[in-house]
Amino acid sequence: MVKTKRIALTQLSSCWGCDQALIDIHLKLLDVLPKLEIVYWPAVVDYKLHDLEALPKNSIHIGLVEGSCRTNEDLHLLKVMREKSKILVAWGSCSAYGGVHSLANQWDLKELLERKFLKVETIDEGRIPDENVPGFTESIKPNPDIVPVDLVLPGCPPTSENILDALTALLENKPYDLPTKTVCDECPLEREEKRITKFHRTHEGKIDPTKCLLDQGYLCLGFATIGLCGAQCPSAATPCKGCFGPPPSVVDHGAKIISALGAIADMTPEELEAAFPDPIGSFYMADYASSYLSKIRDKMSRETK
Amino acid sequence: VSNVTPKSTGIPKSKGKSKVKGQFEPRILAFCCNWCSYAGADLAGTSRMQMPPNARIIRVNCTGRIDMSFILDALYQGADGVLISGCHPGDCHYTSGNLKMEARFTLLKSLLKQAGISPERVHLQWASAAEGDVFTEGVTKMVERIKKLGPNPTRKGG
Repeated sequence: MVKTKRIALTQLSSCWGCDQALIDIHLKLLDVLPKLEIVYWPAVVDYKLHDLEALPKNSIHIGLVEGSCRTNEDLHLLKVMREKSKILVAWGSCSAYGGVHSLANQWDLKELLERKFLKVETIDEGRIPDENVPGFTESIKPNPDIVPVDLVLPGCPPTSENILDALTALLENKPYDLPTKTVCDECPLEREEKRITKFHRTHEGKIDPTKCLLDQGYLCLGFATIGLCGAQCPSAATPCKGCFGPPPSVVDHGAKIISALGAIADMTPEELEAAFPDPIGSFYMADYASSYLSKIRDKMSRETK
Repeated sequence: VSNVTPKSTGIPKSKGKSKVKGQFEPRILAFCCNWCSYAGADLAGTSRMQMPPNARIIRVNCTGRIDMSFILDALYQGADGVLISGCHPGDCHYTSGNLKMEARFTLLKSLLKQAGISPERVHLQWASAAEGDVFTEGVTKMVERIKKLGPNPTRKGG
């Protein structure tokens, strides 16, 4: 009999896209599944939270956590997963860096709740739900800042190959290290000396699908983004949005991006400022929670309380 | 910044509190480029020009070497202000490092503004090796600006 490993998969606040990517392993699932014993996976198997809570400590070999902590229930689930798992994986950009919804960290929770539940254009008499709901966390933090994790697998979502590689490595007790290369290293498009005099929105002009998108003045963030995805977007003439987060050597994704843009943009400061009306949205699409800016704001609100 | 213990700087522990009570003395981190502003700061010192002692200078070879994460990290660790001082446009020892800094600085300021952090806490100035007075004035004005803003809210105990 094949020796199986006990695995648990949890979804916190997220779109469950990482599960989709896992299922998309498709026929290779036949190789992986017999080696796994699923002990918790609400997306697929009917286990409840109390089943997970009832497991002994460190009884799960591999725990995959997808999504970030927007509610107190997420926070509880994450802590339970840490307690029960030997190897905890921050699975996907939400888990690793806070994800797209961490862009909400630009506002206080009070403002967010009012905007969402009271001031929505389609609502007449709104109210903030307070019964039978777990309550929200003040801000979104990357999961590795809340509990220690053993492995970070970024991506929005990580590709099926990424997940298969990581899972295979974990099943064989081999190390899995993130690559140091960037999307540009994997990108097939033709590059030239960069001198950008004007940035375009994606819908403006016509993109030449054979040449580097950044050279053409489209904000492609491949240069500051970890090369895990196989340059899917630039290969299809779509600028990289940086959803996989930075390579391991980079501390702050957006800081790296503006450092690089400053070196290649041949524009006056005023033009440059006008070119990016929403710099946080452009430079930190999927990892704002892990940025210095968000952490400074967190610290500020903690100190003023 | 905050890792510097009083022991390592040789300053007696009580010094920070011996000042007039309630008086806020900003801690300003200054990045100076080796070829212009650091020499300018040196000149200001040897010419005995008077300026507030609030700036802690870090010498870098060129302002183009300053990664934006250095500045953000300084603010995160509680620096009240970050001053960047480089060569005048056209005078850069490496031809264009200061211009790259200017472009980065522009984007950094819009990021800070959007994130709700006072962009006045960071400042970029040009001061050549002969301009000890410009450097002195830059530091003096920076200290005034930061005093008006108050301490960095991330710092414990204000």
